[in-house]
Amino acid sequence: MSEQPNEQNNEELRIGVYVCHCGTNIAGVIDPKEVVKFSEGLPNVVHATDTLYACADSGQRLIKEDIKKHKLNRVIVSACSVRMHEPTFRAAVSEAGLNPFLMEMANIREQCTWAHGHDREGALEKAKDLTASAVAKSQFLTPLDMVDVPVTQKAMVIGGGVAGISASLDLAEQGIKTILVEKEPTIGGVMAQLNKTFPTMDCSI
Amino acid sequence: MVDAARQPRIDVRTYTEVEKVEGFVGNFKVTLREKAKHVLADRCNGCGDCAKVCPVEVPNYFEMNLAPRKAAYVPMSQSVPLIYNIDLDACIHCYKCVEACGPLEAIDFSQEDKLVEEDIGAIIVATGFSHFDPSVMEEYGYSRYPNVITSMEMERLNNSAGPTAGNLIRPSDHKNPKRLAFINCVGSRDKRYNPSCSNFCCMYSIKNAVLLKQMNPDVDITIYYMDIRTPSKGYEEFYDRARELGIHFTQGRPSMITEDKETHNLFVHSEDITLGKVIEEEYDMVMLNQAAIPQPDQDHMSSVLNVAQSPGGWFMEYHPKLRPMDSPTDGIFFAGACQGPKDIPSSVAQGSAAASRASRILNSEKWEIEPTVAVVWPERCSATTRGRACGICAKACPYGAINIFSPEIPAEVVTAKCHGCGACVAECPEDAITQLHYTDAQILAQMRALLADKPEEKILAFRCHWCSYGGADLAGTSHFEYTANERGMRVMCSARMDTDFIYEAYRLGAGAVLYSGCHPQDCHYITGQLIGAKRAERLKKMFERMEMTDGRFRVEWISAAEGDKYARVLNEMQTVLDNMDKDELRAEIERLKPDMEKRLKKFPNVPGVSESMAYSDTLVSAINTQKKEPA
Repeated sequence: MSEQPNEQNNEELRIGVYVCHCGTNIAGVIDPKEVVKFSEGLPNVVHATDTLYACADSGQRLIKEDIKKHKLNRVIVSACSVRMHEPTFRAAVSEAGLNPFLMEMANIREQCTWAHGHDREGALEKAKDLTASAVAKSQFLTPLDMVDVPVTQKAMVIGGGVAGISASLDLAEQGIKTILVEKEPTIGGVMAQLNKTFPTMDCSI
Repeated sequence: MVDAARQPRIDVRTYTEVEKVEGFVGNFKVTLREKAKHVLADRCNGCGDCAKVCPVEVPNYFEMNLAPRKAAYVPMSQSVPLIYNIDLDACIHCYKCVEACGPLEAIDFSQEDKLVEEDIGAIIVATGFSHFDPSVMEEYGYSRYPNVITSMEMERLNNSAGPTAGNLIRPSDHKNPKRLAFINCVGSRDKRYNPSCSNFCCMYSIKNAVLLKQMNPDVDITIYYMDIRTPSKGYEEFYDRARELGIHFTQGRPSMITEDKETHNLFVHSEDITLGKVIEEEYDMVMLNQAAIPQPDQDHMSSVLNVAQSPGGWFMEYHPKLRPMDSPTDGIFFAGACQGPKDIPSSVAQGSAAASRASRILNSEKWEIEPTVAVVWPERCSATTRGRACGICAKACPYGAINIFSPEIPAEVVTAKCHGCGACVAECPEDAITQLHYTDAQILAQMRALLADKPEEKILAFRCHWCSYGGADLAGTSHFEYTANERGMRVMCSARMDTDFIYEAYRLGAGAVLYSGCHPQDCHYITGQLIGAKRAERLKKMFERMEMTDGRFRVEWISAAEGDKYARVLNEMQTVLDNMDKDELRAEIERLKPDMEKRLKKFPNVPGVSESMAYSDTLVSAINTQKKEPA
């Protein structure tokens, strides 16, 4: 398996850019339309638009429809953190037939408007640059497939207190073999040491 | 407890510790240390004859050391499983227990700790919490005054299965106390020890007070509190009930407890906020509600499991709202107080929630993992070009995922073992390895875009995905504002932060560069951070030799819980730039450029890089045109 990031660029790149308002979380600090206008002038960007909530059904639908309508083969979502919605948008583009790894996010909420609320001008400049950076990366993205790994259908719960016991019982009742590991000579944890417990005042053991 | 032991699919392993966790989601290999009980589990019938004859007595942890146990013991009579232990540290080797056990022959003094390996698909961590030791707070006199005890000690004294069979007595004279005080927030909500709230102590002290009052309506009970927190279902009603029973609530944090040397009675000195005055009240006994703190071995477990800790030391969840049960490592979940103090209802709920998260994986035949793995360009490997595989990549790999079969055969990445940190990619002296989704060409193009306009004003911040990027997210979520001149780059691990990227940043005229990743013990990729840190130190020394202004290259380890630190570091870097004369900065950038270019001589040969550079030229001019003349 060898990766040639440039070969697939023989195909004409058609990049779509979506700038999210996130209600007022982003649009309260910067004007997303400014970022849209800026993006329209970047190489291979064939479509750019703003959207009130990119992650909402309507936002995702828009992206999916546009992929077909504008024959997009790269999608940039300028919105929140990848830790928040990368799986959402990967799934959305995938439903429209695009490889999920051809979607790239720019974090203009957590790492821009939320962090620079009192520097609107600076935040706008940064949002443009972060969007351009995602566009730049998308130029060299390649389709990738998830790797399947086998699963050992056995669980381990570390700690035999009330949380560990509850987890073990739930797993076991689903038919999953579970090893419950406890460092003390008995399970029960702190709860076993307690007299009655609030608010029902029943016995702890 | 008993349900767990009865359930045939639960294999309870007590007196056992987790020694090592290797592997990845669906395919963990866990090494357990089954500590020697010196009793054969399959033979012991729990009769307790061994304990009856054992002549040795030592304090029992389960009774908060208020009662003894034998060297042959179970912590409590309802222990699950009911199998005795011989504590060899206390044992005097009289072997009376062996005799008492008789034909069962369940006692085996030759037994040793056993290491057992288990193949596991998913792990739930439910290691719980520990109690703050109030003896460090001298003002309360715990361990100095006999009648100041902790609530956990009171819990045992008031328990019908406890050492006094539920008869609450004063340690000083074994009399039943008539006037009692509980002090809340001992070691919690206290900046000297633990700034956070321990979550359950308000309800816990109310429960203990109600129990005492119900048993003996004549006792006089006061609870000293800062705020009473009763947010869950039925809690406020329970608090009402306590007040109806005549339990006094005094708002104020006691400053001191003093003792009458004769009677060992106690005087609690406190402010009564409601009355607006300082009070001094006499009690027979005072109970301290200790803070819940992380387990003493939480740091050790965190490195065994490779999961990060929040600032207070608790295990840190992937996302506090959206993925509260998940650790950042796929396939490892948290339940209960190991992730932060929790009461019983929440711990039970979390146990179920974690089980549900884990069963998504455990009920599947296959699980998908990210394909952002390393790939070798065999034609560039030194095995091909010089007939001698250097092996640097294999040494860098934290997972042993790279095979070097012989000097002439190019290095080979085992995809299923590769976790995608990128250490080998950045370490390879031949630039013969790339990482899918984080290629040099992609990263270079991103950097060019970020530094297209007024690069000398920008701070290019390289962050690892798991920690520093999370820290930057948290800075935003917490609205800790920092300079908008920061331009963030994200790679999976600091190990991927190639020296070429840093040279390129300065060649492009970046004002400053931040090189940041997780703290050493938190690395998502075992030793990835160590590789990144070594490289960063080398770079730092080199830039010092070049007399680069101090602070234009900064190395910082910032966890996902340190949003404040991320903001502070960026603001400090901005100050460095602000304090420099603009011409002086430009001159320094120009002075260092030729050196950077020299170091980057081989960079365009990396597959994709020259194309990326050509593309970036077009992109940069487009960016600048757009910024000058908005369409």
